[in-house]
Amino acid sequence: MAEPVTGRVPGTTGTTAEGGPVKAAEGGPVETVEAGPVWKPAGTVRSSTRTLRVRVSAAIVLLIALAVLLVPPLAQLDQQAVDLSAKLLPPSWAHPFGTDDVGRDLLLRCVYGLRVSLLVGLVAALVATVLGTAVGAAAGALGGWTDRLVMRAVDTLSSIPHLLLGIFIVAMFRPGVWPVVVSVAVTHWLSTARIVRAEVLSLRGRPYVDAAISGGASRWRVAVRHLVPGVLPQAGLAAVLMVPHAMWHESALSFLGLGLPAHQASLGNLVQSARGSLLAGDWWPTLFPGLLLIIPTLAIAGLAGAWRDRLNPRRRSELSL
Amino acid sequence: MLELTGITAGYDRRAPVVRGAHLALRPGESLGLLGPSGCGKSTLARVAALLHRPDRGTVTLDGRAVTGYRHRAPRDLRTSVGVVFQQPRLAADPRLRLRDLVAEPLRATGRRTEADAAVAELTERVGLGRDLLTRRAHEVSDGQLQRACLARALILRPRWLVCDEMTAMLDASTTAALVRVVEEYRADTGAGLLAVGHDPVLLARWCDRTTHWDEIVDGTVKD
Amino acid sequence: MTRHHPADAAGVRPAGPAPAGDPGPAGSGTGPGAPVLAVDGLSVRFRMRAGRHVEAVTGASFRLAPGECLALVGESGCGKSVLASALLGLLPGNAETAGSARLADGLDLLAADERTLARTVRGRRVGLVPQSPAAHLTPVRTIRAHLEETVRELVRPAVPAPRGRLRGDALRAAAEAAAERAAFPAGHLDRYPHELSGGLAQRAATALALVGDAPLLLADEPTTGLDRELVHRTVDELRAHTRDVGRALLMITHDLAAAERIADTVAVMYAGRIVELAPAAAFFGAPGPRHPYAAGLLDALPERAFTPIPGAPPELGALPPGCAFAARCARADDACRAERPALTEGVACHHA
Repeated sequence: MAEPVTGRVPGTTGTTAEGGPVKAAEGGPVETVEAGPVWKPAGTVRSSTRTLRVRVSAAIVLLIALAVLLVPPLAQLDQQAVDLSAKLLPPSWAHPFGTDDVGRDLLLRCVYGLRVSLLVGLVAALVATVLGTAVGAAAGALGGWTDRLVMRAVDTLSSIPHLLLGIFIVAMFRPGVWPVVVSVAVTHWLSTARIVRAEVLSLRGRPYVDAAISGGASRWRVAVRHLVPGVLPQAGLAAVLMVPHAMWHESALSFLGLGLPAHQASLGNLVQSARGSLLAGDWWPTLFPGLLLIIPTLAIAGLAGAWRDRLNPRRRSELSL
Repeated sequence: MLELTGITAGYDRRAPVVRGAHLALRPGESLGLLGPSGCGKSTLARVAALLHRPDRGTVTLDGRAVTGYRHRAPRDLRTSVGVVFQQPRLAADPRLRLRDLVAEPLRATGRRTEADAAVAELTERVGLGRDLLTRRAHEVSDGQLQRACLARALILRPRWLVCDEMTAMLDASTTAALVRVVEEYRADTGAGLLAVGHDPVLLARWCDRTTHWDEIVDGTVKD
Repeated sequence: MTRHHPADAAGVRPAGPAPAGDPGPAGSGTGPGAPVLAVDGLSVRFRMRAGRHVEAVTGASFRLAPGECLALVGESGCGKSVLASALLGLLPGNAETAGSARLADGLDLLAADERTLARTVRGRRVGLVPQSPAAHLTPVRTIRAHLEETVRELVRPAVPAPRGRLRGDALRAAAEAAAERAAFPAGHLDRYPHELSGGLAQRAATALALVGDAPLLLADEPTTGLDRELVHRTVDELRAHTRDVGRALLMITHDLAAAERIADTVAVMYAGRIVELAPAAAFFGAPGPRHPYAAGLLDALPERAFTPIPGAPPELGALPPGCAFAARCARADDACRAERPALTEGVACHHA
């Protein structure tokens, strides 16, 4: 198929000839350029659907971030404004999410609720990740009895059901945002510690750590230069995945009446206070906060999935059947 | 002298992979250690580089009996043995650029200021192009990466070199080039070499003398 | 890359122990005389940032007859592993291919979709002996589990069985027979991959590759990290599994000694192109290699001069306009630097 181009203009060598045709061929994968080879895309088709999922997830996350950051300062309305003449209105143009049993606009309430839930989720995930990474890295890097002691403690804590431990912790404080954050963080760092420890243990046996030791690196330098940077992507991934988890936890605590004070709009509180109206057949006060709990979860999971794929790309030499 | 006496080592005390190995290397001497795959010669190489604590036996380095391994070995002792491994991919931190990979030992030993000059000199000596120095491990070939790993092993000017199957992943030309670099370094500094490998032709061509695994392992040591 | 495309090289084929009969142009149909694999003008490039491309393989053409062993040699990063990935449809998403690679029945491996490749090609029509068997095997499963799964998937029982699959004792026996074929010791079948030495892991992987009885075996650096004796055994076994039973073997390797031991034909790759395609006997013996790069590679062997080729190979993303080897070649002149030599009569060199 590919006949060599004869009678080329003398001098059209090197980069100039290189640049032109390549650019031309870029738009469509199957486009004949001069007499060159006919290129067709290779690789798996799966990647394109995955890209779509990642794009949708990213768009949702962006939308949520914008809503949560911009709506409260810009909104002209008061989310707490009670309007008893407009209570329990179904969704309409004036109130896209409807109104609750005291006539507050649910869209606004939901945005405020999402804001609080996200904040709790983010801070709790961050605290849990820092704690888990520190403990896991220390256990993995030091090894020996430190490792055994720490991991035994982690196992013991893990054997207590999350929610139960969480309830126990919030019960010790007055209701508020911080007790919830602490409760969620304290119950969630354990899995991160396990992941990080396992990763550190596997990194510690790599020849490049041997080479560093042989090159005179101290324990501290090996940890800071090779081990911790090596586990950060995994820890970051765990942190991202933990945000929705922590949001659900906050909601669960609030739903049980143990989390945030009832007047504060959080997704959990919104669902909790809508229970009564749901029995009366009014579905919207439950549905929308519920959706706002589920959709960000899926979007974040979608982004985290792409991240995970980047962490473990298929190595070229690893041609699996 | 680099002397290994009665070394028994492994990863499980009940089933050591090395049993009663003896090895002595004079300063400036190059010794090729031949052995089949999986015989434990890599473990012995790690012991010789003070990277693996043997279950039994002693290592003596320039007259000093080694009492600790890995981080427990004094820094000047463990940096006196340079080590090159079989698989450059595993021996290079994937996050480091080649320049930092080579300079790392100088930085780790507080000689940061010498790094630029030493890296420039050594990378040229191992045949690593300047434009490759800003790349990370996954952006270069096995051969290029192994060149960087050899430069890293030489940058502290060790008195001993342990090359564990250094050329097993490499093509003939890169093999010959890296062996030449090692030999030039040894001619410069008088460093001793323990080259572990499985290719008798290569080791015979490279080293002053070669010995076979069976000859250095004590047959009488049983369980 | 769009300028000189040596598709004309397709007309060149070395003399091997290949059966009589003209291989004909690619896709000329099936039949007993058809090559097991006909590669024509195979090119692979990777899209990089800013519209740049890395040309990993350019215009590779060769034929593989039944029972023939072709060794594709070259240094790491010359594109030979990419070629193997292309044949198996395992290129990453930013890759583009050109040309064709047809099996005996006319199926073009480069045009086949993932479903076809997964269901009818990998393991069944092309067996793969991987580069790093330890990474290839699933760490949490024993060798026996690997073998039994592959046998269950690929082997049809002699006597009809439910759902056409081997079970129970027959399956167990077939898995053990498969291990035996690759000289994998039965006593190690219940071990996990990490408990095996490099040699045994390689044999386990070879045993898996042989299960499907594929007419083409693709071995990607099968001898890396093995000692000389094991290299000999491994390649001898590969040879026994191919030449004697009419199977073709494409062995990708940097180990010239292994290539010399079993290859009928040698293809030398440099900077993404096949620069020499020659019968192994002529290449390793008299009259020797014709391309200066191939000659340099052989001279670097410890059995020979043990002198490295000066310089370093060019970047695949920035190939010079002329011969890619010119910068390292003692015989290079202005013609070499200006014009890229095409592969004619088995060698791509202006001076051969």
